[in-house]
Formats: sequence, structure tokens, C-alpha cells
Amino acid sequence: MNELQYRVNLVVQVFQSALAVATGLVGLWLVFSQTDDLVGWGAPELLAVMGVHIAMGGVIQMVIEPNMAKLMDDVRRGTLDYVLTKPADSQALVSMREVRIWSFVDVVVGAIVLGVAVVNLERSVGWIDAAGFAAALLLGAIMIYCFWLILTTTAFRLVRVENILELFQGVYQAGRWPVAIYPFWLRTSLTFLVPLAFAITVPAESLTSRLTPGTFVLASSFTAALLIVTRIVWRVGLRYYSGASA
Amino acid sequence: MPAIHVDGLTKLYRVPVRQAGLRASVRSLVKRRFRDVVAVDDISFDIEPGEVVGFLGPNGAGKTTTLKMLSGLLHPDAGVVEVLGHTPSHRRREFLSRITLVMGNRNQLSWDLPALDSFELNKSIYRLEPESFVEARDEYVELLGLETLVDKPVRNLSLGERMKVEIAGALLHRPDVLFLDEPTIGLDVTAQRKLREFVAEYSRRYGATVMLTSHYMADVVALAKRVIVIHHGRLLYDGGLGGLAARFASSKKITVTMAAPPADLSPYGPVIARETDKVTFEVSRAETSGLAARLLRDFEVSDLTIEDPPIEDVIERVFEEPGDDWA
Amino acid sequence: MIAYTRMYAGWARVAILEQFQYRVANYFYMIGMVAEPVIYLVVWSTVAEQRGGAVGGFTAGDLAAYYIVWTLVRNMNIVLTPYAWEQRIKEGELVTDLLRPVHPVHRDLAYFGGWKLVVIVMWLPIAAVLTWIFRPSLDPSAAEIGLFAVALWGGFFVRFFALWALGLVTLWTTRVSALFELYFTAELLLSGRLVPLSLMPTWVQTLADFLPFQWAFQFPIETLIGRRSTAEIWLGIGMQALWTCVAIGVTAVLWRRGTRRFAAVGG
Repeated sequence: MNELQYRVNLVVQVFQSALAVATGLVGLWLVFSQTDDLVGWGAPELLAVMGVHIAMGGVIQMVIEPNMAKLMDDVRRGTLDYVLTKPADSQALVSMREVRIWSFVDVVVGAIVLGVAVVNLERSVGWIDAAGFAAALLLGAIMIYCFWLILTTTAFRLVRVENILELFQGVYQAGRWPVAIYPFWLRTSLTFLVPLAFAITVPAESLTSRLTPGTFVLASSFTAALLIVTRIVWRVGLRYYSGASA
Repeated sequence: MPAIHVDGLTKLYRVPVRQAGLRASVRSLVKRRFRDVVAVDDISFDIEPGEVVGFLGPNGAGKTTTLKMLSGLLHPDAGVVEVLGHTPSHRRREFLSRITLVMGNRNQLSWDLPALDSFELNKSIYRLEPESFVEARDEYVELLGLETLVDKPVRNLSLGERMKVEIAGALLHRPDVLFLDEPTIGLDVTAQRKLREFVAEYSRRYGATVMLTSHYMADVVALAKRVIVIHHGRLLYDGGLGGLAARFASSKKITVTMAAPPADLSPYGPVIARETDKVTFEVSRAETSGLAARLLRDFEVSDLTIEDPPIEDVIERVFEEPGDDWA
Repeated sequence: MIAYTRMYAGWARVAILEQFQYRVANYFYMIGMVAEPVIYLVVWSTVAEQRGGAVGGFTAGDLAAYYIVWTLVRNMNIVLTPYAWEQRIKEGELVTDLLRPVHPVHRDLAYFGGWKLVVIVMWLPIAAVLTWIFRPSLDPSAAEIGLFAVALWGGFFVRFFALWALGLVTLWTTRVSALFELYFTAELLLSGRLVPLSLMPTWVQTLADFLPFQWAFQFPIETLIGRRSTAEIWLGIGMQALWTCVAIGVTAVLWRRGTRRFAAVGG
């Protein structure tokens, strides 16, 4: 019976992902019925962005958001103590204990869309581009993780989980398109405030042979900086938490 | 005319048959198998206006199902049910305005607002005249001691306080029939007592008919003179509280008080309690008078009492029985 | 009649009090929701720019106007989610509703109506910021604003009853997510939410004319941004009334059948 329930869940997930892809394709098609390219990005290239967007969204919903939601819940209920008394690094523990398996469907769907896009690209993808893509994806995912942990650690007291999740989901939609289309201030926010540019556009840039070494260096150093800041924020947050609950 | 008239009431539930195993799961995708579970089985009773009746039974006995049929939430599959002359499942406005169903673990008041605001809302839903509304509200506030509670958001109240404001809200429209489903569940002893007193007072003042289910015998003993016992959907007993023990208790307790009870009294019967000068035996009803006579004959007894076991134990034992022998 | 007015006022008051308590959550939701139209706006403005200024008859300023008014219309047409019924049945709220001597649709309508008043007030600063950033070409007359107000609430009523009816399907089966998601996807594409319908191919526009979606979205928007004549606006309001009546009819039938089934099967 359990197996059956899993199967129903899977079907529902696949169906929803399919609908989302269909909607995205309609959007793309509408745009390209009016113009040949968008800020220099052609149709298969925009499709690649969409693929990365969906896949990265799957990763976020699979391994990042569940942990953050649980963290907020633990702090609210005081059960974070159970984590803190374990003989492992607390930040690692709170970041890796939950997985939402069903979101893997989105990762697969995104990969398929990406595959279709890559096949249709004008310029084929070389080794360097592919390597850059993988590296950029990893860096981008780490940056999103840092963003989420910083946000959770600092904001949980003010706002509920659901609100932050909703807000993020809204903003995340901006990553559907290459950040170049956005006005300067928005572009900057989507790069350094909510690192969607690094998570989605930059990997897509690599795949479409647009990535400059400068951008890559920026991504790497920004990731390193974020990791350090995240660590500091986490330690401070812990001290505050222990102090508050004592 | 009875306030509540029930005749041959029956309710079945279709429950899907679940089997383990992959093949069975796949098969159930295509064709689901069902089985009928009898929740309420041919029960009949009449309740006159003003009566307070306790409705007892273990979990799953059919109590809540019966109450839901009486309040119109469920259609019976067979039998007749009439409350205040209405067919409950028609859910007429006149009917709904004269009854109330209070369930122990459910809220109808707004969580975030003070109870007073929810009371105002009930006033407009039930179309109460302002004077009668204010009168009822103030009366309940006084009876239940709600002065400091009604202007705090409901979520800030303790469980007992919440139940008190809930029941006040549920009675603003002065219903003639009250269905109370586990109203004291989860409450501390003081809150339980306060609630019981309130229900008794309300029923006394307004001649309301009350059907009350509860796990706590103290509720039933305090409020009801008549008890209906239901088990496996069937009516086991309908009568006075006192008669319950007579019907179901298979044993009695004898407590003797004597100066220096001997160490070993087991030849007389099973001893269940002992103090310096008191000994308590528990024996079957048949043996009771025999044992009493023997004790009086053999010892200098200064006091001897014969008691029914506590109602709780009686009920517990009733529900432990398979139930078929009572049919 | 008076009794109903009092009841509606009572529920609306509770809604305002409660939602004001949740103002932070409300604001977060509204701000997060602004992301969607802003993204559409930026994309289509870029397309317009690349085409030399306009696309489908919309200049960048027109698009800004469309999508900014979109945010108000969107906030106004958020109604009871059809997914709420699953919780209502499971948590027993439906039981409480069935015990009251009034049809629960009144409670929902009054509650959401009251909530919308709070929403309108909270929207104003958001609109101000968006206007300052995106410079919409918007210059409605007083009459147009008045008609817009009517169309705005008309859109609310259409979508409220449509989704209330849709949610009642839960009384028959809990496997409803596929149906709901299909509905929402169709609505996204055929209501003017994703893009103004004039940017869609003609066959899509014809299809949309037979469906209620656009009357809750595109029609109120276009009433304010000046793309409809007065006659067309009155006709549109009539269509809103028509679709509302249809939805009410469907709701009534589904409710009667659904509660009967619920009472037969058991809560």
C-alpha cells in the first residue's frame, strides 16, 4: 500500500512539473513569435536557461529548503538543542539532515529540458564550457545555500517559515530569464543580494560560451566570501539562541 | 412528545479493504474492494424534554456517529430519528437554531480574536435580539467566571479557559437541545467541575435536553440520572445509573472494621485492601451474603459495609467483554 | 435582508481584525507576489524595445500600466483556494459549517470581502513604488476609475464563485490536485495573467472568449488603462455578472449534491 502511495505522489509530481514546463515553453514561444532573440540570447539558449532554472529549483527544494524549514521549526520549538548536543558540526548537521525526495523530479525534468536545449545550440558545447558549467552550477548552489542559511538565521524571529518560502519562490521566478534583461538595480540585487544570477544565468552562460574568466573569478571569490560570512552568522546566531533559551 | 426520538437507527460505513503486498495494491488500483462496517446497529430510545442523559461507550462504539446523526451531519442508513419534531438531516434553519453540538477538541471561535468578537458574530448568524443576546452573554460570563477571559485572544487562553468560552459561545442562542461530545476532555479537575456545574445549571434554568458523551464517569455521575450504554454500535443498557452496577457488576466489595484482623484472611475470600483495622474483600455477588455472614460470625466486627465496585470499573469491564453475549 | 447585511458586516469585521493582526504575513505575500508581474513586464518591455518601441500595440509604458494594475487586480481576485476544502473536511471545519443555520458560502464571501478592503489599502504604497520605478502611461478619468472599481469587484465575484465551485469537487474525491493544477494552468494562459490576450494568437483569443478567466483578470485591468470604450466596459460588466450567476448556479448544485454525499458516506 505504501508503494502505491509513493506511485501516486510520483505521478502528481511529474504532472505538475510537466505543466510547469509546458507553461514555460508557451512563454518562450510567445516571446519568439515577436522577436528573434532576447538581449542576444536565442531560443535554444533561453531554453537552456529554463532548464537550469528548473533543475536548480529542484535542488533547492530537495536539499536546501527542507533543512531551512526544519531549522526554523527547531528554533521556534527549542528543539535545536538536540542538534547542538551531537558531536558533529552543528552547521553541517542542520544543513544536511532533511531531503525532499520528490523534488528530484524537477532536477530530472530540468536536465531533460537542458539536454534538448544543448542539442539545438548553434555552437556545440566544448569541454571547457561543460567544465565551467558544472563548476558554476556547484558554486551557484553553494551561494544559494549560504543565502538561505543567513536569511534563516537572522530572520526567523521576525517572520514565519511560510512567508519566507513564499517570498523566495516569487523572487526565484526572476531566474527564468537571463539577468541581463533586468534594469541595473534589479540585476545587481539578483546577483549579490539573492544570488540567482550566479546560480542560473552564469552556468547557462558557460554552456552558451558566454562566460568570461572574470565572471568565473568573481563567482569563486564571492562564494568563498559568502561561506565565511555564513559561518560567522551561524556562530553568532547560535550564541544568541543559547543565550535566549537559557 | 419526546425531544429526541430514535427508532431502529442504523449507520454503515463502507471501508476499503486494504491488503498487504504489491499485487494486491496494484489490483486495488483497478477495482477497489469494500466492506461494510456497522457503526450504529438498530438502536432505539426516547428522550423527554429536560432530561440529561449520559451516553457511554468505548472509542469506536458509535457514540459520535449517533450524535452526528442526531445533529443532522450524517444520514442514517435505516431507522427513524427526530429531534424537536424535525428530521435533522434536512438541516432546516429552525432546527439548527435550536440545537448545539459541542465537541471537546474542536473550536468554533476565532483563534486570533477575543471571544467577545466571536460572540458578536454568533449574534448575527443566529439573528438574536440584542437584549436576549446581551442577557445570555452576561449570564454565561458570570456563571463561568469569564470576565477576564473574554477580551483576550482565544489562542492565549489555557485549554480549560478555552473550553469555557467555547461553551458560552455555543449557548448564546439558548438552544433547547445540547449535544456534548467529550466536552471535558483534556481539562483539569477544576475546569471539569466548573463546566459540569454550568451545564447542570443551564439545563435546570431553561429545561434544555442534554445528551452528553464522556470518558470521565465523574461527568456522567454528576450530571445524568439516565445512562445509555452503547458498544459495537448496539444499545447495551438504557436506564438509571444505579441500575448499571446491578446489571453489569459481577462483584461487590465488603469492607470490615475490626480490632485486630488476623494476618491471613485468605480462607474467607480474596483480600484487595488492608489497613490496621480494616480489610476489604472482593467477591462475586452470589458469595456476598455468605461471606458477610461468616465474617460477622467469626470476628468482633465493629463495622461492615457492602459496596458496588466504582462505576468506572463496571464500565471498563463491560467494554472489555467481547460484547456478543449482551446481544 | 437586514439580518444578512448584519451578518456580512460581522464577518467582514472579523476578517479585517484578523488580517490586520497578520499584516506582516500579508505584506510579505504581496511583495513576493509582485515578482511575477515585474518579471513579465521586464521581459515584454525588452521585447518591445527590440521591436522598436511596441509589441502587440503595447508600448513599454502601456506594459507597465498593464502589469502594475495587474497587481491590484491579482490581489483582488485571490479567493478561497480550492485546496482549502481538503483541510476543511479533514479538520472538521466543515462540520462546524454544517451546524450553523447559514450557508457557509456567505461566511467565505463576507470574510474575503472584508479582507479585500485591507488588501486595497495595503496595496497603495506598493503601487506607488512600482509607479515610481516603471513609469506607466496611465491617465484614467474619474468615470474610468469608477467603472474600474465596479469591474474590480466583479472580477472578485466571478473568481470567488468559480473557485468555490471547483473546490467542492473535494467532497467527492480527495485526488483533486491534477484537476486544480490543470485549471490554474489554463487560467494562467487564457486570462491575461501571463500576457495581455492581444499578444496571443487569434485562436487562443477566441477560445478565451468562451471561458470565464479573462473576466477576472484582463477585463478589469483594461478598464483602467483605457483600452476599452465605455460601451465595451458595460458589456464586460454584464459578462462578469453572467459568469458569476453561472458559477453560483454550479456552486448551488454541487453543494447540495456534495453535502448529501458527505452525509451519506460520513465525515
